[in-house]
Amino acid sequence: MSLYLTSTLVLVILSAITGLALNLQWGLGGLINFGLFGFYMLAAYATGLLAHAGVPPLLAMAAALALTALLSALVSQVAIRLSEDYLAIVTLGFAECLRILVTNEEWLTRGVMGLAGIARPFQGAFGGKAADLVFLAFSVVCLLLVFGVYQLIAHSPLGRTLRGIRDDPQVVETLGKHVQRIRWKTFALGGAMVGVAGSLHAFYYSYIDPTQFTTIITAYAFVAVLMGGRGSAPGVLLSSFSVILLLEGSRFLNDQLGFMDAAQLACLRLMLVGLLIVLIVRFKPQGFVTEHRLKVGASPAGAEPV
Amino acid sequence: MNHLGQIVFNGLITGLLIALPALALSLTFSVLRFANFAIGSLLTVGAYAVYGFNVGLGLPLPVAVACGCAVSVAVVLLVNEAVHRPLRRRSSLMQLVASMGVALVMENAVRLAAGSAPAAYAVEVARPLRFWGLRVNHEQGIIALAVVALLLLVAVLYRATRWGRAMRAIADNPDLAGVRGIPYDRTVRLVWALSAIVATVAGTLIGLDATLNPLMGSNYVLVVFAAAILGGIASPLAAVAGAIALGVVEELSTLVVAPHYRSILAYCVMTLLLLLRPSGLFGTRWVKK
Repeated sequence: MSLYLTSTLVLVILSAITGLALNLQWGLGGLINFGLFGFYMLAAYATGLLAHAGVPPLLAMAAALALTALLSALVSQVAIRLSEDYLAIVTLGFAECLRILVTNEEWLTRGVMGLAGIARPFQGAFGGKAADLVFLAFSVVCLLLVFGVYQLIAHSPLGRTLRGIRDDPQVVETLGKHVQRIRWKTFALGGAMVGVAGSLHAFYYSYIDPTQFTTIITAYAFVAVLMGGRGSAPGVLLSSFSVILLLEGSRFLNDQLGFMDAAQLACLRLMLVGLLIVLIVRFKPQGFVTEHRLKVGASPAGAEPV
Repeated sequence: MNHLGQIVFNGLITGLLIALPALALSLTFSVLRFANFAIGSLLTVGAYAVYGFNVGLGLPLPVAVACGCAVSVAVVLLVNEAVHRPLRRRSSLMQLVASMGVALVMENAVRLAAGSAPAAYAVEVARPLRFWGLRVNHEQGIIALAVVALLLLVAVLYRATRWGRAMRAIADNPDLAGVRGIPYDRTVRLVWALSAIVATVAGTLIGLDATLNPLMGSNYVLVVFAAAILGGIASPLAAVAGAIALGVVEELSTLVVAPHYRSILAYCVMTLLLLLRPSGLFGTRWVKK
């Protein structure tokens, strides 16, 4: 049971970090990212490959974060000048291409064979039963760090500028802000946060192959952000811990019930995620926790979120 | 030389296969003003509906295609009523996210109902035909005829009928079109129905060319977007030209790079174009915010 609990908790923490990253990029900055799982995969593989090359785990993680941030910045350059639809397809395309590359460039990634034996940080110090708990604690620390950075940005003048850019870039531009520069930097920082989740994924499973990285990672992040409320970090945390826990929990529920096979259950779970996305967009677009706003004077009546 | 001719011919067929979904995508994009990510899943739903009538009920393929089109039209009209029509006043970004949700539901519904194993239509296998040294599969012949016929039909509808004029008017300026008495909801339903029919035929042809599997549509999404952007996503007939160009380039590229890198090539073409000429090669509209 405790094994179930730790593994589910780690999964939820990974989703929460990915959700926070998407919340920075899309919730706060208005920059959509349909290729979230690609950046996640990039970080996981960078961590895994560096660890195989003998780089200490924490150093490998740092390098993976830097790489993910760099590629996020580059990918966003292609489309941030254009309307949002383009960023969606450019990021999705990046993720698909990366999956094809990782699957086929066997000399580097071992293709579908996958990378095994990725060493975790602090592995030598604690062995045996404590290892999973230590890793759980490490994940919690990572989550808190990401959460802290997010809150710092959201409550700073930069956060206000970002919300401004999201709601009306032209107004912010007339105030003399460099909109494009702030956009790609935000996208890169969000990319680094996805990188944290990707690295932790590689450490936790210690084995990665291309089939682990699919759209469900992106879909979970969207559910977390939509449900929690765009822009609100506590909301995203809450929704990750409730919704994703339920969805991931269904994985273990099946062992007891056993009337569907794993593939059918996966289909059902994805259908449910899709349905959730549609329902929230349709009926509760502001989510369940409203984002932090400085209250200045009267707020305009009837202002509807877009 | 003949070898090159064969490659160009195969490229044309590949391009024609991409042309239909690209047309469906840019039709909905130009009229509804959002990129419909569910286009791939719609193709899958259509292809499997046809499969149900063809293999499940034993109907001949042309009849099955007609029935499959009816099913997919019903599905998109339902999606329009339940999801996209109520969201009309909201940003295109929210419509986009909603369409991703719709895509997840549709694709996995197919997977749940039909299983993940590849399937094939009940058609007889025929010997390839030969024209002037070109090897033409039976399926390739059907694909060429069907796509060209459907494209002509849509082009005439779009360019020369009242309905087509209503679509172009709304694509141009929805408010002005409304002032001039063009019925918005009815035209939008027509566009959805048209895109469903086009996607279903595309799905069937792709299923004939290779096999059916629940991911067939989402595997095409990237290439379809690349083709539409290459031509000009806001102008439907330009998107078709983009698709055919991309198909030929893709087949020619197999001379130099491994075939599984075709998607990556499409992505590179799209990236270059977005950096240099975002309105597309043949499009005129600049789609900047």
